[in-house]
Amino acid sequence: MHKEPLIVFDHFSFRYASQQVETLKNIHLTIYKGEKVLIIGQSGSGKSTLVHCINGLIPNSFKGEIRGSCTVAGMDISHASIFSLSKQVGTVLQDSDAQFVALCVGEDVAFALENQAIERKEMIPLVKKATDKVGMSDFLMQVPYTLSGGQKQKVSLAGVLHENVSILLFDEPLASLDPFSGMQAIELIDAIHQEDRTVIIVEHRLEDVMHREIDRVIVMHEGEIVYDGDLNALLKANILIHYGLREPLYLQALNYAKIPFSTFEDVTDIKRMNFSAVQGELKSFVPKQLHKRIDRSEVLLTVKDIHFAYDVKPVLKDIHFTVHRGERLAFVGKNGAGKSTMAKLLCAFVRPEKGSIELSGTDIKVLTIKEVGQRIGYVMQNPNHMIVKHLIKDEVRFALENQSLTNEQIDDRVEDALKICGLHSMRNWPVSAVSYGQRKRITVAAILALNPDILILDEPTAGQDYAHYSEIMDFLDQLNNDHGITFIFITHDMHLAIEYTDRALVFADGELIADDEIQAILSNPDIIEKANLKQTSLYYLAQACGIAVEPFIRSFIEQRSQA
Amino acid sequence: MKQFVINVTPGPTFLHHLSGKTKVMLFGTFIFYTLMSFDVRLLLPLFILCLVALISLKPNWKVVIALFTFIFFMNLINLVLFWLVDPDVGQYYTTDTRTILLSLGNFFLSRETFWYLLIRQLKLMTSFMVSLTFILAITPSEFAAGLYGLGLPYKVCTVVSLAFRYIPDIANDYENIKISLQARGLEMDKRKLNLFKRLKDNLFILLPLIISSFDRIGNIANALDLRAYGLLKKRTYYAEHEPTKADHVFRFIAIAVLVFSFAWIGSRMIWPPVTQMWTPF
Repeated sequence: MHKEPLIVFDHFSFRYASQQVETLKNIHLTIYKGEKVLIIGQSGSGKSTLVHCINGLIPNSFKGEIRGSCTVAGMDISHASIFSLSKQVGTVLQDSDAQFVALCVGEDVAFALENQAIERKEMIPLVKKATDKVGMSDFLMQVPYTLSGGQKQKVSLAGVLHENVSILLFDEPLASLDPFSGMQAIELIDAIHQEDRTVIIVEHRLEDVMHREIDRVIVMHEGEIVYDGDLNALLKANILIHYGLREPLYLQALNYAKIPFSTFEDVTDIKRMNFSAVQGELKSFVPKQLHKRIDRSEVLLTVKDIHFAYDVKPVLKDIHFTVHRGERLAFVGKNGAGKSTMAKLLCAFVRPEKGSIELSGTDIKVLTIKEVGQRIGYVMQNPNHMIVKHLIKDEVRFALENQSLTNEQIDDRVEDALKICGLHSMRNWPVSAVSYGQRKRITVAAILALNPDILILDEPTAGQDYAHYSEIMDFLDQLNNDHGITFIFITHDMHLAIEYTDRALVFADGELIADDEIQAILSNPDIIEKANLKQTSLYYLAQACGIAVEPFIRSFIEQRSQA
Repeated sequence: MKQFVINVTPGPTFLHHLSGKTKVMLFGTFIFYTLMSFDVRLLLPLFILCLVALISLKPNWKVVIALFTFIFFMNLINLVLFWLVDPDVGQYYTTDTRTILLSLGNFFLSRETFWYLLIRQLKLMTSFMVSLTFILAITPSEFAAGLYGLGLPYKVCTVVSLAFRYIPDIANDYENIKISLQARGLEMDKRKLNLFKRLKDNLFILLPLIISSFDRIGNIANALDLRAYGLLKKRTYYAEHEPTKADHVFRFIAIAVLVFSFAWIGSRMIWPPVTQMWTPF
């Protein structure tokens, strides 16, 4: 079959005007018409920059120096305008909130048509057609505030589907979606690809993208392409971890059980793999006796009969649970299920209509936000929303200065918090000089300085690649181990829940539908469906080998914590 | 989500269904009409008309009445101050007489001043009613489309609609940053702090808010570019439907009101110059 090249990078390098070194180095890459390509790589590997070259933001919006050449649909990007490129290339941005520029769905989908001054009577059927394709045509008059993350993303996609856009770029489409919505997004992207469009997906959640077939994978590392080929060979080569990327869970399990990937012809789809030859080895992987390491002797927090509503519609109904000292909890469930509101109730940001929250026997309704804040710390998702000072040590001091402590006491506690968080050597640095992961550490240190019993973290690793994810989570886990701090994670990431929590509370439509160990929850199809979760590949692996799911997942977790 | 007074999507009533351009035209001309005159014979009919229009819009009366009461009393305070400063203020604008209605020691309320202040209140409340009816009848997108229809550059119109789109998001960020700072011990309680300290503490919220807003602006700018915003000199609007028969009628009315206003100014205010307002006495 003759393949028609659509995007060609030849000896291509790019340096941002604000930077010293090149972000893309000597790229050779040809993407053919009709291909579905996945680009993976760590944060800062240059994959977003590559995408910006294709959609024309480079060099039109981001200035810099180009060497070599890049042509997209026959246009040289150094000369093509972003507008002529936009007729060929549709981009779905990672931040679907920012991409939603209009006030209702129909208007947002029409935005590109409005800019081309297409008459309204021609616009309306086009909007209908585009929204039909993504299943959003019943929502035309909806405002962005009432849509879920998945729905907003569908709107973004509909907004770039018009006319003959031949190339679709997806910049981290899974970053803010719950597991089930993420799966739907991948299925939708696949359906769009079937319409003879070229699809390029940039994502580091490899396993989730693998839900549907991919033609080619490109791995980027430090501005270079280090792999360009088919998925199967990449997975079998077992090299992802070198580039700070996560391999799929089932392959990780095979690695732990020391089963070579060469046993299988194709490792890209667990449902088509034949495990009969290795069943014995996988069974012996599950130890007979499993020890439980959690000490549930001290009850720290008791939540009884909580009801809450912002206006008339109840957000939380009849919630009961307890938290023990030293536990690691996950709050999971789809957007709007009430998990963030529950965290806000625990921090006394909002007060319940009914019911009580007892912290070591004291009802928090008698405490102020500030007093609760000293016992239950809250770390927001985006560290930039929390940092108010210029220097790292000042940021950590900030909360202590609002308390009646002597200067020596404050200094001691700041020192301790900085040391625990590995920031002591950077204490005099400005906050702006450090990376996102380190900023996250600063916000944790600033809360830790208050000596709280419980830390609540909202999506601590959202948008982070595997290397940064591990860095943040291993650090938090160490705090739990060495200092006995209790953690509550609000998360969509089932990998996080499996690897770093002991127990998960599952919220759905304002109710607490499950309170159990994560492996039990992930082996219960009923809960998975209600809470928009997703079966992990470990579940399929265990089933395929006829092993009980729960102990299999647990032994996987133990293997991981030893590794 | 807080409930705002503005609608983001068009409501169901007749006035809601007029096109953005018609609504902007009506608003512009009626505001002009209100501002030019102190004549009760012009103001009172418009006030009643607005009341009818407001009722036809089936608004959330709780909010409307609260707003009306607030504006009404703020203006009333203003008028009382007018009166305290000069109890004879009405004489300059009505008849050059002083008919005392009420005497309070050295102070007095004259018929002339009372009439003047009454009409002033009516005028302010009428312009408030015109604005409120307009705000309740229009969506931000129609507003942008309407301004564009009247010849404003579309970039200005986009600023208007983008502001409406993102103000709630930024308000949300503000709220989140504030509670996280409160949890870290920053006192924000109005009862416990003086104004100066509160302003100073609010500065702490500004830094993260500005940084996150700049991030957002960068992303929005990219989103606009990627969908060819700014490609052409002209633009069309999804929110702006073709003018209906009702639109044509109302646009004609708007123009007629404008013509009438100019005629009124020309004949009554410029030549011969009349500075006195119409009174029933």
